[in-house]
Amino acid sequence: MDYEFSKTQKILKDEAHRFLAKECPSDVVREMAEDEIGYSRDMWQKMAELDWMGIMVPEQYDGMGGSFLDMTALLSEMGYHCMQGPYFATVVMGGLCILEAANDTQKADILPPVCRGERLLSVAWVESDGTYNPEGISMTAELQGDEYLLNGTKLFVPYAHVADRLVCATRTGQRTDDNHSGITLFVVNTRQPGISIEPLITMAGDKQSAVNFKNVRVSKDNLLGQLDQGWGVLKKVLLMAAVAKCAEMIGGAQKAMDMAVPYAKGREQFGRPVGAFQAVQHHCANMLTYSDTLKFMAYQAAWRISERLPFEKEASMCKAWGSDAYRRLVALAHQVVGGMGFMEEYDLQLYFKHAKAAEQVLGDADFHRELVAQEMQM
Amino acid sequence: MDFEFAPQEQAVLKEVRAFLKSEITPELKAESLAIGYCYGGELGRKFVHKFAANRWLVPNWPEKYGGMGASAMLTFAIKEELAYTMPLIFVAAHMAGPTILHFGSEEIKKEWLLPIARGEVEFALGYTEPWAGSDLSALKIDAVGQGDHFLLNGQKTFNTHTHVADYHWLATITDPDAKRYQNMSMMIVDLKTPGITIRPMITMAGWQTNEVFYDNVKVPKECLVGDLNQGFYYLMAALDYERMFPLGHYRRLFDEIVQYTRDTQVNGQPLSRDPLIRQKMAQLSIELEANKLIFFRLAHIIDKGKIPNYETSMQKLFATELAQKIANTGMDVLGLYAQLKKGSQHAALQGQIEHHYRWSVVETIYAGTSEIQRNIMALRGLKLPSK
Repeated sequence: MDYEFSKTQKILKDEAHRFLAKECPSDVVREMAEDEIGYSRDMWQKMAELDWMGIMVPEQYDGMGGSFLDMTALLSEMGYHCMQGPYFATVVMGGLCILEAANDTQKADILPPVCRGERLLSVAWVESDGTYNPEGISMTAELQGDEYLLNGTKLFVPYAHVADRLVCATRTGQRTDDNHSGITLFVVNTRQPGISIEPLITMAGDKQSAVNFKNVRVSKDNLLGQLDQGWGVLKKVLLMAAVAKCAEMIGGAQKAMDMAVPYAKGREQFGRPVGAFQAVQHHCANMLTYSDTLKFMAYQAAWRISERLPFEKEASMCKAWGSDAYRRLVALAHQVVGGMGFMEEYDLQLYFKHAKAAEQVLGDADFHRELVAQEMQM
Repeated sequence: MDFEFAPQEQAVLKEVRAFLKSEITPELKAESLAIGYCYGGELGRKFVHKFAANRWLVPNWPEKYGGMGASAMLTFAIKEELAYTMPLIFVAAHMAGPTILHFGSEEIKKEWLLPIARGEVEFALGYTEPWAGSDLSALKIDAVGQGDHFLLNGQKTFNTHTHVADYHWLATITDPDAKRYQNMSMMIVDLKTPGITIRPMITMAGWQTNEVFYDNVKVPKECLVGDLNQGFYYLMAALDYERMFPLGHYRRLFDEIVQYTRDTQVNGQPLSRDPLIRQKMAQLSIELEANKLIFFRLAHIIDKGKIPNYETSMQKLFATELAQKIANTGMDVLGLYAQLKKGSQHAALQGQIEHHYRWSVVETIYAGTSEIQRNIMALRGLKLPSK
């Protein structure tokens, strides 16, 4: 076993740390939360020049040809700086759907502009029941000649308001008992007539939308993967993206500690640093445990994905653990920092919100524990 | 990164598994259980001599001291494998031995390491005294240098193992006037030496620990480990090795509870279909996975030539709190059946759950309480101020 990043991964992580410290300080994070668009085109282009858009895309499609683990090194730095924006939707969720399910023509069409920073993606998945389960997918896609006609409403679609293409999960076939078959994925141009996008206003300031599809015509060529077999792709992307989200949590957890621990050393009460009190020390020790376990759970799952080993159980374990661990860690940081921590001007509040948002997206702890139970053949 | 064992480690583990399967008998398990999983019983010694002949007791020691020069990773994996099949706790091989290897003179290494590696001698920990539990710097046992020997007088308590081990791995005060941490020496004392009295103390889990009295006991000066008055640091090192906690024993219990939920029908369906039970079992399996990762991280650090720091305390803390959760969840899952002891009518899982429930209380106490582990993590790991 080896618990360390490779040299190149360390370099990538360090570079990302320096870049984001300069380009994405917390006042930018606050600004983007208020901003209608929610990200900076200028910074996006710089990130594309660093090859971050194509980090996992094979070189034949103008990507960097890196591994999933490479991407987690990057994501943990984005988490550290609480970077919001369409990166996760485009590169992780959209990118993984395309890499997993698209044919060569579709990849050649979609991926090179993504790598250049010219095209944004997202995934339209969840509907009114608010879950990632297959039974929640009701949006219809009806074959009419050479086209499919899409009708329905998607919710919680990340950065749909700026996306150029949406991967849409639709129901094309009869529901089976497990709801697994009969789901088909399409790549849809967001400028297509019949699409309307309504912004949702979120706690963490990340941008999400409700997307309505009314008789949206989509060519057969835009069908992603196999007809009626979309759930397999979605399930795999769900688990991989959940691991990627945990990588983001690693950085956020680290940053929360980097705020709380020095604070405990410097803040004096009763004539001594509050960090000299065991009650506070034990909070900090517990934070350290959450941080380290979250890290290795996520790296193990990411490593397995990179090595093309079975990863389903490890992925769900890490999202279940990470969802609880990150939230609890930030809560402890709040206890350590006291009154300052809940002020708008103090950065810890950004991580408090990020922790809850990261917990809820892509399946919360209960959801993934149930998947673990299934993996355990219970 | 790499989260699998290397092929050569996997090959050895396969042999170990086969060996354990063929060599561990119900009688041996019963003996191990009866003496609180301490190494030192008659059947245990027979079994370990054979096991250790493969150099599996201390694989990461150099060959000349009875190891095979293998990785700490393999060593940890074998410990975990043994703990899963039949827990046995080795003080000499897994706590004192690595400390001797690190700090001992060439003479003392030559004298002790080979017999330890072969499983021929076992030690008992000799730290705690009635006035020195969490604060081991408060020891009082007196060791006065007199010519070629020390004269020992004092009292130890909670010295498990002493009734089945051969030697006492003993922390003594050799310079009562010196500062804290500079007054202690570590010795290896033959437990058959005249003047030593061992009195049993029985725990709520049924196993025996002991109080040990030293009354004018003459201990030859050759029994001193490392330098005089530096014992506190050796004790801390040995404690760190003790804290590297293989959880295999509780992992097996967990597996048996999971199987119980599959086999047990309640309200016309297996317990394992109940969403609450599924959540609880999944959570434990997730925490077992997290523990696995921080357990083998210790081996990874050692294999990199470094000494684990706060990481050891974190793993001990996490593993032992998880051990209690497993036992308590087992009590929940088995419900009223959980209270039934082995031998009772209608006892489920051979009464193991209530036994482990009682047993698991010790886990967060010995080798430094959970609170002490958190202190260490905060002070050593995060450099928080002590005052």
